[in-house]
Amino acid sequence: MEGLELAAFQIISAVGTARSCYIEAIQKAKQGQFAEAKKMIDEGDEAFNEGHSAHTGLLQNEASGKEHGINLLILHAEDQLMSAEGFKIIALEFIDVYKKLLH
Amino acid sequence: MKRIILLCASGMSTSMLVKKMETAAAEMKYECNIEAYPTSEAKTKAVGADIILLGPQVRFSLGKIKEDCPNSLVEAVDMRTYGRMDGKAVMEFVKEKLGA
Repeated sequence: MEGLELAAFQIISAVGTARSCYIEAIQKAKQGQFAEAKKMIDEGDEAFNEGHSAHTGLLQNEASGKEHGINLLILHAEDQLMSAEGFKIIALEFIDVYKKLLH
Repeated sequence: MKRIILLCASGMSTSMLVKKMETAAAEMKYECNIEAYPTSEAKTKAVGADIILLGPQVRFSLGKIKEDCPNSLVEAVDMRTYGRMDGKAVMEFVKEKLGA
């Protein structure tokens, strides 16, 4: 496995981890564990950045004239990336709501 | 014959991992049956599996899958192993967890 396929799986794995972390952050906040929730957000950000930089690498390659040939797998990776990005925003809002509810 | 179930969001990326794991299992001479499903089908398809492995993108549902499949071992696949689609590393993890 190499090239685009490898990059796609790196992205799916990293941003997928990030998405899980963000959702776990909401689950922690729901139980009133706000320090743990913050930790999950930070952990998620770290994984997200890894996936994001793999994606940026692909964009840079393309900008410099290297053709990738798009396949469904890379579209799926971008879909996961967008989903993780959205879940972070939602997680932060949910944490705020639970703070207000539980304090 | 061990029954291994992989779960991810759509069953798309894990079906690729199934192929890599089958190759690794054949090399290790480890008798098993490996299938991939989306988490939404866990309740109907994963019940009775020896081990259920979750992709990193669905790790957050570990607790729920454990509730739905109380007789199976439920574990998450490490992010880096998953990102490399390292079938051998996953098979070694399975072997270690199942103790055989």
